[in-house]
Amino acid sequence: MLSRVADALFWMSRYLERADHLARAVDVTFHLDLDLHGVLANPVELEWNALLSLLRQSPPQIAEGESPVAAVQRWLLLEGSNGGSVMSCVNRSRNNARSIRGSISPQMWRELNKLHWRLSDPALQSRVVESPHDFCQEAQIGVLLFHGVCEATLTHDEGWHFIQLGRYLERADKVLRILDSKFGLLERSGSVDLPISTLQWGAVLKNCAAYEAYQRLYISRVEPERVIEFLLVNPDFPHSVRFCLAQSLHSLTEISGRLPDRCDDEVVRTVARLLNDLVYLDAAALGGERLHSFLGDALGRCARISALLQQQYALQ
Amino acid sequence: MTPHAAATRPSRAATEAGDGLLSGYELGAAYDEMVDASGGPRPHYHPLFDRLLQTAPDDFRRHKAMTDLSMRQDGVGFTVYRAEEGIERVWPMDPVPRIIPACEWRQIEAGLTQRINALNLFLWDVYHEQHILRDNVVPARLILQGGYFRREFVGVNVPRRIYVHICGTDLIRDADGRYLVLEDNARTPSGVSYMLQNRQVLKRVFPAIFNDYDVLPQDDYPAALLEVLQYIAPESSSQPTAVLLSPGMYNSAYFEHSFLAQRMGIELVEGRDLLVDGNRVYMRTTRGRQRVDVIYRRIDDDFLDPLTFRPDSALGVPGLVNAYRAGTVALANSIGTGIADDKGVYPFVPDMIRYYLKQDPLLDNVETFRPEIPAQLSHVLANLDKLVVKRVNESGGYGMLVGPSSTQQQREEFRALLQANPRDFIAQPTIQLSTHPTFVDGRLEGRHVDLRPFVLCGERVTVTPGGLTRVALPKGSLVVNSSQGGGSKDTWVLADAPRQ
Repeated sequence: MLSRVADALFWMSRYLERADHLARAVDVTFHLDLDLHGVLANPVELEWNALLSLLRQSPPQIAEGESPVAAVQRWLLLEGSNGGSVMSCVNRSRNNARSIRGSISPQMWRELNKLHWRLSDPALQSRVVESPHDFCQEAQIGVLLFHGVCEATLTHDEGWHFIQLGRYLERADKVLRILDSKFGLLERSGSVDLPISTLQWGAVLKNCAAYEAYQRLYISRVEPERVIEFLLVNPDFPHSVRFCLAQSLHSLTEISGRLPDRCDDEVVRTVARLLNDLVYLDAAALGGERLHSFLGDALGRCARISALLQQQYALQ
Repeated sequence: MTPHAAATRPSRAATEAGDGLLSGYELGAAYDEMVDASGGPRPHYHPLFDRLLQTAPDDFRRHKAMTDLSMRQDGVGFTVYRAEEGIERVWPMDPVPRIIPACEWRQIEAGLTQRINALNLFLWDVYHEQHILRDNVVPARLILQGGYFRREFVGVNVPRRIYVHICGTDLIRDADGRYLVLEDNARTPSGVSYMLQNRQVLKRVFPAIFNDYDVLPQDDYPAALLEVLQYIAPESSSQPTAVLLSPGMYNSAYFEHSFLAQRMGIELVEGRDLLVDGNRVYMRTTRGRQRVDVIYRRIDDDFLDPLTFRPDSALGVPGLVNAYRAGTVALANSIGTGIADDKGVYPFVPDMIRYYLKQDPLLDNVETFRPEIPAQLSHVLANLDKLVVKRVNESGGYGMLVGPSSTQQQREEFRALLQANPRDFIAQPTIQLSTHPTFVDGRLEGRHVDLRPFVLCGERVTVTPGGLTRVALPKGSLVVNSSQGGGSKDTWVLADAPRQ
């Protein structure tokens, strides 16, 4: 397949995953914010600023008559000048899709296009001030629909695997970031009130669409160590980092067309090593500083995987 | 019910007053496709006419809204650029189809086939022995000094001797309903995807109206085009790889490029995806280079190869023209076809048909004056308020004077231009294009239409039944270009024998 097409498929998928995560994060933070009102003095600043710093974004300009929270929500969801907003990510994804329209199924293009037009609806956008929930839901459902249609209508060949790769590498990156941002919270967990800790770690799970799956597995109160273990090394949950890397490795070997143990390229090696580290990770021993350095190292390796991919497949 | 059976039933006249869709339908001086002088429907429109009489304007408005929504969701549109900001326009389709009976279509099909054959013989001739110039059937100066004549291609043998593989010919109808050729588009004609999309959307939003008719399908076009591309592949390649070369997603016809590539199952490539090495063309893939045998190019000659034509072009592929000359890759359409659809050459196409095919043209040209000839220049200057004056090397409705709707100042400008450079212009009488009922402001009104059928030339000539009907939406306007606010219609060609 054309290198340019592979590149566009990868980024189409990656931006869409980014939009999905951000929409979920805004929605979760919005609800967390409401919950924390009862137990904390000034939760607003704390949670929204935490979200901004996780995204490595500085607080936005506040328009006249706008509350700080409304400004952050508008900035993260709608703002065209913010290249990382949900709207911008969907547009970038759509532009990538448009540039290779002939290489994806018409149904995929149609879903993505419908998503773009639904999110551009002024009525939906204006409701964000009151509650971002509907907008965030539309975005997440649209992404899921797209992947459902993709799964069912696109041949699962090289191009499909580039789509999976974009999706799972982005997801692994986001989950690692979310855990990393909660690192400080874990250190303080002994001294923090139980209900607050439950709410906040519950929010971490919800950020990764993992709340119910976690409950089903552990049948217990939300505990930070278990949340970390679940999101890092669970082999079967689709948002765990280990699951994402296993999927990425599978797609990479399919793309290279060789058996996994015969792959001698640097991308495959890097992914496989990180995956191995996760498989044999002793999560219980990851207290405090060691967790922090592990997450930092994993994020760096994810970035390296992306860079190697560009080299290997002459992606632009 | 068949159109023929329906024709025996009396129908209400369209022009009666009332609040129906067709009430008060006005007939002008032009030929109306649906309604005859008595206000009743022409026979082949009878079932559709009856259905429209029974349809409440509000119901119809819903059909129109669904049409727009469908087009928007499918992402069918074109981009208009203003101040660097791309505005996405949704492709406008009017839900009332245009209907062409089988007998009319046979005549159009035969006329277009004859025309593309003559154009291909002409191109081979002017790029080789130039008999037609030496016999003074076409003035040599007109060709050799024409802006689109590619001197570099004299003597080059193109595959299967075909230059124009894909042609979009614009037809109009005069006040008597006679089909006339307005122009040939023999370079990179566009519009065929909109023709196919219009049919798809109309079936989705208005399926009931198809029940009354036997409409010939058009779906075969991409397959037929692919066969043409494979037919011209270099003989050495047993399984030829064809690609579609597009300027990219910012081109206004990008939708069409991706649509056709997808329907044919071939790669859509941009210039940067291709490279030429040792006179062979390759594309850059994730597994290295892959050989390319045929290129359906949607880039003009000028931008095809910076080494041969415009050096500042980043859209093309350096070395492509030499590879083509060497016969290792085929191009559709060939290089140099622009001289065949030059407006200055257009008046001579009927002569080409007589010269090469020894036949009379089955489709007439619009009467055309050539100001280059002094007697015709004085006629043109004396009648500027009645004529349409066109520059020979412009298209898309630019550089034109439409006499009847022009100002004194515009006419004076053209008078000066004509006197200075008479060879740069042609002039034609203003034809009242035929009208067709079109949904405007909650009811149907007559609007001017043209027709662009698509002709393919490979092992044989194929004319896809129908074509793109373009509509000028402002009342009385004769300009149908989509960039200037035109709409479109699904175009039906009816099957020969009525259904039993």
